[in-house]
Amino acid sequence: MSDLQYKYIGKPADRVDALEKVTGAAKYVGDYYLPDMLYARALRSELPHARIKHLDTRPALNVPGVIAVITSEDFIDHGRFGFPVKDHFALAFEKVRYVGQAIAAVAAETPEAALNGVKAIICELEPLPGVFDMDHALDPDAPQVGFEREDHKHPNFLDMSPVYKGDPDEVLKDCPVVLHEEYRTVHQEHSYLETEGALAIPTSDGGVTVYCNNQSPFITKGNLVAVLGLDPIKVRVIQPHVGGSFGGKDDLNYLTACQVAALALKAKRPVRMTFSREESMIASYKRDAMHMRITLGADKDGTLRACKAIHTLDSGAYSSQSPFTAWRASIHAMGAYRYDAVKVEVTSVYTNNGFSGAFRGFGNTEACFGIESAIDELAEKLGMDPIDFRLKNCLRVGDVTPHGQKLTESVGLVECLETVRKLSDWDRKRAEYARQTSQDTRCGIGVAVLFHGTSLGAEGVDCATNTIEILPDYSVACASGLTDYGQGPRTVYTLITAEELGISPERVRILLADTDTAIDSGPTVASRSTILAGNAMRVAAQTLARTLNFAAADMLKCEPQRVMRIGEAYVGPNEEPVSWEKVVDHARSMGLVLSAHGKWSAPEIHWDHHKGTGTPYFGYHFAAQVAEVQVDLRIGKTQVLNIWAAHDTGKVIFPQGALGQVYGGITQGLGYALMEEAIYADGYLQSVNFDTYLIPTSMDVPDMTARFVETNFSPGPYGAKNIAEPAMVPTAPAIVNAIYHATGKRIRVLPADLERVALGKSLHKRGSPVSCKVGLKVK
Amino acid sequence: MEITFILNRQKVRVDVPADITLLSLLRDYLHMTGTKVGCEVGECGACSVLLDGKLVDSCLVLAPQVEGREVITIEGVCAEDGSPSDLQKNFISAGAVQCGYCIPGMVMAGEALLRKTLKPTRSEIREALTGNLCRCTGYQQIVDAIEMTAKQRSQTQSGRDKNV
Ligand code: FES
Ligand code: FES
Repeated sequence: MSDLQYKYIGKPADRVDALEKVTGAAKYVGDYYLPDMLYARALRSELPHARIKHLDTRPALNVPGVIAVITSEDFIDHGRFGFPVKDHFALAFEKVRYVGQAIAAVAAETPEAALNGVKAIICELEPLPGVFDMDHALDPDAPQVGFEREDHKHPNFLDMSPVYKGDPDEVLKDCPVVLHEEYRTVHQEHSYLETEGALAIPTSDGGVTVYCNNQSPFITKGNLVAVLGLDPIKVRVIQPHVGGSFGGKDDLNYLTACQVAALALKAKRPVRMTFSREESMIASYKRDAMHMRITLGADKDGTLRACKAIHTLDSGAYSSQSPFTAWRASIHAMGAYRYDAVKVEVTSVYTNNGFSGAFRGFGNTEACFGIESAIDELAEKLGMDPIDFRLKNCLRVGDVTPHGQKLTESVGLVECLETVRKLSDWDRKRAEYARQTSQDTRCGIGVAVLFHGTSLGAEGVDCATNTIEILPDYSVACASGLTDYGQGPRTVYTLITAEELGISPERVRILLADTDTAIDSGPTVASRSTILAGNAMRVAAQTLARTLNFAAADMLKCEPQRVMRIGEAYVGPNEEPVSWEKVVDHARSMGLVLSAHGKWSAPEIHWDHHKGTGTPYFGYHFAAQVAEVQVDLRIGKTQVLNIWAAHDTGKVIFPQGALGQVYGGITQGLGYALMEEAIYADGYLQSVNFDTYLIPTSMDVPDMTARFVETNFSPGPYGAKNIAEPAMVPTAPAIVNAIYHATGKRIRVLPADLERVALGKSLHKRGSPVSCKVGLKVK
Repeated sequence: MEITFILNRQKVRVDVPADITLLSLLRDYLHMTGTKVGCEVGECGACSVLLDGKLVDSCLVLAPQVEGREVITIEGVCAEDGSPSDLQKNFISAGAVQCGYCIPGMVMAGEALLRKTLKPTRSEIREALTGNLCRCTGYQQIVDAIEMTAKQRSQTQSGRDKNV
């Protein structure tokens, strides 16, 4: 693909909101201080599973400074909430299912008064037995966490997602080489630097305006309308700058918004709730933990034949997005390979271990660790080089995936593998490190590959609408329902608009997400902004460009197709060039409307949830990453020396942004591989702040090398695919495979921390409820 | 209690409770919200400011401790003419900014390092950032931005005094 054809697409560009962020001027929800504003605080459960026996909020109102207090009684249908399963409430109703669940909320003149109000509430909880082990959640005598089910399945059963092709048991019988292993991943905390928060301002018409650091303001709005019974026209949700999300501000925060809005309507004053870090870690959902059982079979020549993947996913107390996470995990559980037969079943279950929901990679991060570890183990059994083995079996253009989908284009996996092989000097290092004998430190190098379905896939209706308008000062304002919480879509929309209109990006302004100015485009998840809203932006800008072209042709007295552009100016065959401003003026004088909508819908796809076959996604991102590590055998400490990443992203629109996504994703994957573990002991989270929940620092991460393999993806704007999620997915297995290469020890339970690497197991520590109990009452 | 100190080169006098932190003084009382709050236990560096030229976590400093001292926050970082500093500009051009929440603290940490040395190695830059967590960027482009600034400043030599 020639880069010459574009002026802004794929060229260096500054992020549109970087300036206000480097000067500290950008406002996040916790930065809003309004006169008369009240501070809210929630009473949160200190028990993992209990019946609410008695709840009396009146004493809170006697606390000086407390203005309003709410419970589930203040919402329609107790604030019933949840998608796809309505199993949660805006505030707990009858039962609590996890430590940190909000039971009541108080608004007061100061944060201190709000906390005192919370402490004054009388709340008697009757403890119930809990479920803390996902592998026993479906035992006949397991305590009941979920509601009774109409189909009489176990109340702790949430969903099961299958993929079936042929009969792997039959095929495995004639496979000379078979591997069967189990792998486990643990809960991971999103650790966005900005905690959850929302600000609600009552409006004069009895409605409410909410500023919330959510991912999808239209979902917040939908929930507010449903639980408060307000006319949709009276509810406006604005998304200010958001300090990171990674999937983590796409559920609990919708409840926070409902709570502050109810308080604001009751108090008739603005109300803001901002979580402390402790509250954020305890109350927020995590990446699910997964228990994976994988069987692989191959011929002696290294041809993969069969895969069985039977996984359990711990959804915790509520469903949140887990059925979708499990579905995405099932689609990717066999890895990016060809097989004769496949059987995948991913079952999600309720427990009382906090609750789980969306987190970058969305099931694939977990599943990829399992399958890419197993593939490495099988390669070793076959005596094959891990890259050679993957190259022999990986998906290529023309292949049919185990789901039954024919891949017709944009499969750059082979090129990704060859790229990282070369960049990392793989063959030399594999050989050299295999000869190490030191008992102190050793190096290793490992690889992992990934495929990752673009956008929602068969998870939901997949379309987006962007709007565009030329303002009186000749700037161009655009709005999108798909939002920017740090990943960078506003810059992508800017570059697309500038490219299509032939104007400087400085003229383009992307409005902050606002339900009053943007059009609902579904959730900002699944790395879908660039493809969905990027296409919508392109359609909108092209529509406007065509209108302007008529005006220019009229001025230049030529046919529209003969109008050319030099810089921003319009040029015809005869007349002098005319400026963009003049053309805009002329278009207005012709009575042309200088605004447009652009809608784009993803190609239709279908998935059969019972047969486990179909077309799960309309396209896939492919990637390969190689990690080089040094392990101190004495203490089990792993230092990552290098990461090489090659990602088939399709056409890259905003290279710096795409690189940032790769570096950031790898870093989260490195944390997942080596240090991050949100441990629940009898339902109590053991790390509630960054002093004990460790995430990678600048010293834990090496300088990384990233390359893009830009295969053309015809549905994508300019051929672009997705990047945000796939960046982190293969990192953990690449690192763990490198640790194996260095040490000969296979780590099958994440994270590969000091104990697991040095001793091969985690030392059993007794859990304690103390940090949760103290953390929920922090200042 | 009354506290008098120099904030971004201006003398300020405030009357605040004695038990609040410098972070709370800046945000809750002065509504200077460029300094962010991430953990309040000294682990994340989002609240970084310069106290007498040294990098500190303002969540760990009690407000009365700044009496008579000089505090520089992100609002006080700029070039002489008030435009963004070279370091801030390099953060933008290196692509070092994503969600931006850690960025004020990162700029302060970078500035603190550049006041000590204009010839830091990449690993010295990484070391200087260990108290500042970033969940978005993987640090690489932040290190690039600081490295670029160090090179430019050491070329112009006089840059150092001009830019804070
Ligand atoms: S808020 Fe001060 S170090 Fe995190
Ligand atoms: S840019 Fe988001 S935390 Fe650093």
